[in-house]
Amino acid sequence: MKHSSTTSLLFASLIDAVLGATLWASLWRVVLPQFGGYTPETFGTIDVLGMSMLAGVLIVLGNTTEGSLGRAFVSGGMPPSSRGRSIVRHLGWLSFVITIWTGWIITKISPIEFFSSEGLQGAGRIFGALVRPNMSIVPQALEAMVVTVFTALMATVVAVPLAFLISFPAARNVMSASAGERAVYTSIRAVLNIARSMEPVIWAVIFSVWVGIGPFAGMLALVVHTIASLAKQYSEQIEDINDGPIEAIAATGANRLQNIWFAIVPQVVIPFLSFTIYRWDINVRMATIIGFVGGGGIGTLLTQYQGLAKFQEVGTLVIIITLVVWILDVASARIREALK
Amino acid sequence: MRPILEVVDVSHTYPNGVHALRKVSLAVNPGEFLVVIGLSGSGKSTLLRTINRLLEPSDGRILFDGADIAHITGEDLRRHRSRIGMIFQHFNLIDRHSVLKNVLYGALGATSTMSSILNRFSREQIAEALHNLDIVGIADKAEMRADALSGGQKQRVAIARALMQHPKVLLADEPVASLDPATSHSVMQYLEKVNRELGMTVICNLHFLSLVRQYASRVVALKHGALVFDGHPEEITDEWFTAIYGEDAREVEIR
Repeated sequence: MKHSSTTSLLFASLIDAVLGATLWASLWRVVLPQFGGYTPETFGTIDVLGMSMLAGVLIVLGNTTEGSLGRAFVSGGMPPSSRGRSIVRHLGWLSFVITIWTGWIITKISPIEFFSSEGLQGAGRIFGALVRPNMSIVPQALEAMVVTVFTALMATVVAVPLAFLISFPAARNVMSASAGERAVYTSIRAVLNIARSMEPVIWAVIFSVWVGIGPFAGMLALVVHTIASLAKQYSEQIEDINDGPIEAIAATGANRLQNIWFAIVPQVVIPFLSFTIYRWDINVRMATIIGFVGGGGIGTLLTQYQGLAKFQEVGTLVIIITLVVWILDVASARIREALK
Repeated sequence: MRPILEVVDVSHTYPNGVHALRKVSLAVNPGEFLVVIGLSGSGKSTLLRTINRLLEPSDGRILFDGADIAHITGEDLRRHRSRIGMIFQHFNLIDRHSVLKNVLYGALGATSTMSSILNRFSREQIAEALHNLDIVGIADKAEMRADALSGGQKQRVAIARALMQHPKVLLADEPVASLDPATSHSVMQYLEKVNRELGMTVICNLHFLSLVRQYASRVVALKHGALVFDGHPEEITDEWFTAIYGEDAREVEIR
């Protein structure tokens, strides 16, 4: 296994190099400026030199003493020599401390602000407003909530038939007859995975530019995400079914469409229904969030009141959202339980 | 008499490299009740599945009614499958559908995709399905859901479904392996009835030699994918039994 040991050694060195460069950048550009008023210039020669120097040091250290985090990571174990082990341990702790320190600085964690009297006053205002909601906007809020619930409903209704159709060519056991079918299966799965990794909020941004801000943009965003998620869940359910009926229906001389309809569909309808109801439930929550970025409904209303610093109104909306989401959650759980 | 089925030098190797069949040759005459015996993994199920082409054999010829069907595809393949009925160890009914619908699914090969999916089976087909249920003695269960039946009843529904195909040959893959002894005999008797009264050729995989002796008109044995015996049930002596099932095997009776 000469080849694989060479590649894994290269891989280990690469990890060491990245670690060295990151450590340098953390120390030089984030940690050091905390002391004595030094402000780093824009990224320049000195950074490149420093980063490559520390990377080089770690690689050399790793190759001369076996004290390499990269090797320990790639091999999944500590180096055999005690000197190597000691170096790996120290390097490991050092990188951990520097990483956490850097993270603390970058995320601007500040206990002082959290507990400052000014800050606590602000928190008091918000929580106070939550318990003293402005009931006069309830009709407006309910109207917006209805928009959100229907956005989610329409997105689910539009997405379900498409997800249903896509799920069959996305199931391995349906698409195993030839190399061409397997290629179709693989590409559909890849597209679904990519569509699913893009959050609905991002789709909402795209569609609010495309069709304008409002519930339609929110619905389209949810449709894309729902198709991708449901098609994956559906197809995994199809892959999970009992193959016996498929064989039996094929043995009668049925064609593929008949086989899907008579052997596969009866086995998956109930789980499909269950997934679908749960997805509507999820979509109502997502539709709220999508409203923040221009998807209409109660989310949009919430950002408007928040922008005007009208916290009692915000409080009203938060209460209504929580209630509706909770009711739908209980209802969908009940329905899914009844379907079993 | 011209054989209805001729298997000529058929071999099958699975993608994982297992040689399930090695140059098996066999001719089946119309009206025979042929039983295939052998240990689990000897190739019995593979042989049956190459005959109705649920599997494509790697090598050899399969002549059905004189035509080689070993490598046909598409419409030809579906027409071929529709002429051969098959029943399975685990019945393979559509559990959530009614018994009657399950029987009607035997006619899928003869029904257009649209009318079958819209559930528009003809009056004749429905009458025939009920008649077939009557043949296997469970016409009264037609409206029940298939998963409400017992194992033996499910296998009888499966026989009725196969009859819908007007098959020339009925394949039975371990039809009684999931059933208790009493029910096993009942199912075997319906297969015998189909064989004797409707003149249907039956090819059946079985485990129990006592059932073989009672129902088979002819027996073939497979061992490691090769045909090692071809003869009458009474010719299976103790020597043959040891040769087929190995030194450690003991015969178990099923009454």
